[in-house]
Amino acid sequence: MHITVIGTGYVGLVTAACLSDFGHTVVGVDKDHNKINALKNGRIPIYEPGLDDIVQRNVQAGRLRFTTDITEEFDRTQVVFIAVGTPPQEDGSADLQHVEAVAREIAPLINDYKVIVNKSTVPVGTGARVRQVIAAHQTQKVPFDVVSNPEFLREGSAVGDFMRPDRVVIGTESDRAREIMKEVYRALYLIETPFVFTNIETAELIKYASNAFLATKITFINEIANICEAVGADVQTIAKAMGMDGRISPKFLHAGPGYGGSCFPKDTKALVRIARDHGETASIVEAVVQANQRQKERMVQKIHNILGGLQGKTIALLGLAFKPNTDDMREAPSLTIIRGLLEQGATVRAFDPAAMDEARKILGDTITYCRDEYETAQGADALIIVTEWNQFRRLDLARMKTLLNQPVLVDLRNIYTPQEAKAAGYRYTGVGQGKSSETHGN
Amino acid sequence: MDVAVIGCGYVGLVTAAGLADLGHSVIGIDKDPRKINKLKAGIIPIYEPGLAELVQRNLVTGRLTFTESIRPAVERSVVLFITVGTPSNYDGTADLTQVEAVAREIAAAMTSYKVIINKSTVPVGTARRVKELIKKHLPAPVAFDVVSNPEFLREGSAVHDFIYPDRIVIGAESVKAVALMKELYSGFLKKKVPFIVTNPETSELIKYAANAFLANKIAFINELANLCEAIGGDIETVALGMGLDHRIGPHFLKAGPGYGGSCFPKDTWALIQIGASYGSPLTITKAVVEANENHKRRMALKIKDALGSPAGKTVAVLGLAFKAQTDDLRESPAIPIIEELIASGVSVRGHDPAALTEAKKAFADTITYYEDIYEAARGADAIVIATEWEIYRQVDLPRLKSVMKDPVIIDLRNIYRPDELSTAGFRYTRIGQKDIR
Ligand SMILES: NC(=O)c1ccc[n+]([C@@H]2O[C@H](COP(=O)([O-])OP(=O)(O)OC[C@H]3O[C@@H](n4cnc5c(N)ncnc54)[C@H](O)[C@@H]3O)[C@@H](O)[C@H]2O)c1
Ligand SMILES: NC(=O)c1ccc[n+]([C@@H]2O[C@H](COP(=O)([O-])OP(=O)(O)OC[C@H]3O[C@@H](n4cnc5c(N)ncnc54)[C@H](O)[C@@H]3O)[C@@H](O)[C@H]2O)c1
Repeated sequence: MHITVIGTGYVGLVTAACLSDFGHTVVGVDKDHNKINALKNGRIPIYEPGLDDIVQRNVQAGRLRFTTDITEEFDRTQVVFIAVGTPPQEDGSADLQHVEAVAREIAPLINDYKVIVNKSTVPVGTGARVRQVIAAHQTQKVPFDVVSNPEFLREGSAVGDFMRPDRVVIGTESDRAREIMKEVYRALYLIETPFVFTNIETAELIKYASNAFLATKITFINEIANICEAVGADVQTIAKAMGMDGRISPKFLHAGPGYGGSCFPKDTKALVRIARDHGETASIVEAVVQANQRQKERMVQKIHNILGGLQGKTIALLGLAFKPNTDDMREAPSLTIIRGLLEQGATVRAFDPAAMDEARKILGDTITYCRDEYETAQGADALIIVTEWNQFRRLDLARMKTLLNQPVLVDLRNIYTPQEAKAAGYRYTGVGQGKSSETHGN
Repeated sequence: MDVAVIGCGYVGLVTAAGLADLGHSVIGIDKDPRKINKLKAGIIPIYEPGLAELVQRNLVTGRLTFTESIRPAVERSVVLFITVGTPSNYDGTADLTQVEAVAREIAAAMTSYKVIINKSTVPVGTARRVKELIKKHLPAPVAFDVVSNPEFLREGSAVHDFIYPDRIVIGAESVKAVALMKELYSGFLKKKVPFIVTNPETSELIKYAANAFLANKIAFINELANLCEAIGGDIETVALGMGLDHRIGPHFLKAGPGYGGSCFPKDTWALIQIGASYGSPLTITKAVVEANENHKRRMALKIKDALGSPAGKTVAVLGLAFKAQTDDLRESPAIPIIEELIASGVSVRGHDPAALTEAKKAFADTITYYEDIYEAARGADAIVIATEWEIYRQVDLPRLKSVMKDPVIIDLRNIYRPDELSTAGFRYTRIGQKDIR
């Protein structure tokens, strides 16, 4: 099949690359010349493990091309994916200007029946809206269908997630479009991936519902972590015992500094907004949004407490990205933490294996950027683990101790046990860690 | 081992019978003499599938006995379970009166080492409190340990849940107590059931956290169901799409009239109070509780809406228990629904295959009671499905329609498919889907 993917950010690029790997002929379009130039030269503008191999392989095979010109190959294309950004606006609602711009651009180019697929995360009703916009801007009356096909990939494991998804959701009222979508995802059909076929509104809601639920799960365990600290209980044991309940599932029950990233903050706020716009309330998600903000701020207080104040202190932060294996800094807890530390008169040194450039764009010269974990620790009053990159899991704690001004470890991801930190001579605090516990069996 | 189980309600009875079945010698104790007399005769005072067989089997072998008096039972047993009720106080905190009363009685009868196990759902710190209480009331100093061992069984599948637990949680501070607990549960250890051994605080909190999270799942999907009704989405498909995400899981994503029962409402309130008393607010659980209350109220409005002008109408409510496979009516969503309907001048008929006796206590003569579904429906203006009993699924829809005055179904459990209802000629309202009128 001939497929056009418009927008080559995280989602668009992964979609384009993986669909070409499924054997389709794919054109990736972006209005950003720098991005397209980089891609044409075989450089991947984002950090995403495994993506470069797939892109390279399919470019070489002639199945994948990149362009800034949306008209390129458009006549032959059967399926057009819209994968542009939908950032949040002030009021929490999703900004649809890019999606609508694309709809207007492609409308006059539709020369033959095409399926227009919304892959961006868009509010309920956007499918219908895109249909209207296209119909209004068509120059020839050619039939087309709009499909909602939300994307569930996660940054850091995007390729695996796309190639082996938990499910594929396809929202459309048209049988013709449904058959074409099955053809697009034939490779996944063959490996028995569950497909959920439904109407556009339901498909659009599934994406928000899933993300909002996962955000709720994280925030729920964070609130439990806070009470653990108050009563002397251990949140990791609680999470483990909860997760053994077949109805709960052990995933996403790690207490930490609060969720961030390009999806959860945006999608939770958008869902709250969608509900309000329809005269309903998403009151649980509203509580989640607020509790998550408090959780991020609470981390500053935690550092303050263990040091007995922040004025004049030097703080070493390990990890800036919102999670490991990505360079994405959007809504990262590190930003709230750094802002709080600076406000209270501390100096911040930081290191991240992938997100230094992105961090610089946001934080400028308000903090010191270091070459590695050990340089970061140099002369600091506390070492803070903010993102659980694998390389931070096996720090040489003894060496670290000689570099630090005082041996204080604040482990916001619970990657060390209080025992090992104490054994290494540190004053230690994690998130929701009360007293020790052991697990037997299995 | 010689075991005493104090309090023979849902949890106590299943625990006593289950432990006897594992080969222990168990005495079940309850202060309610009628209960004990029935149990001695092999009659089970509650509705719980499979429990009668389990009790009878072990009564016959003599491994299970029942008595009213605590003292001899304490004297002969090493392991003492506390399985009495911990209902809610007005402010949502758990009422520990029964637990404390039992602790004092145990203390008065103790002359040798015992492990006292809290199986009731109790706030953080209760194990320590029970320990101090016993110490204070001991006639002479004796060594003992207090252990937290929360119960996760569900009414309706309690026997199965006892035999096949997802995990066993033990909150203890003494090595000796942990060793005794493992001996007691050695049958589960052999079956490779995971054991979580931790401190009492963590153990106590696990129970609340698990229940609050499950309540959260239900309340979350119910809010989305409301949204689906507004946008023309379909909640069943939303739940399917969400549940396929292995980090979410498909369970407890069934939209309905709101959760009820003897555990979720009580345990969510109690958790909120625990958080408040430690200055650590549980805002999500609070939102869940409020959303669930609103949702139950909304159900009554939904029914009134479907009725048009409710006054003078007759409605048959099918299902009164808080869920299927139980006779438990505690916090059942049917209660506020029926109260609101009555207040609006509706005459309400109630049907339930197991909970009519309990219902009569709750509703007295404000409603009429039926043992037959079709009789309940005869001449009614609408049917409300409030509990997902299997017999309602298997109802003869054309026959049902023929006896009703107006063929209207308000299916609060989505047990019927839209197409089967419309084919049978019903107008219907479901949860999380646009109505067909
Ligand atoms: N990042 C994720 O993990 C993730 C996961 C699932 C869903 N999503 C959703 O997918 C969508 C895209 O997210 P992303 O992270 O890939 O965004 P992104 O910002 O990384 O990429 C968007 C790209 O679209 C391009 N673009 C914008 N307008 C254009 C136009 N008119 N023509 C051509 N190109 C244009 C931009 O230049 C940019 O390269 C969003 O709706 C997001 O919510 C993201
Ligand atoms: N019912 C469930 O599904 C369930 C599941 C898990 C945990 N729990 C928890 O287990 C505990 C018990 O719940 P239940 O549903 O079995 O309660 P219940 O009300 O059915 O039973 C409690 C029993 O204890 C007896 N009792 C009270 N005081 C006594 C005393 N001083 N001496 C002897 N007997 C006494 C009562 O007569 C009653 O029979 C509660 O804390 C509850 O939260 C219940």
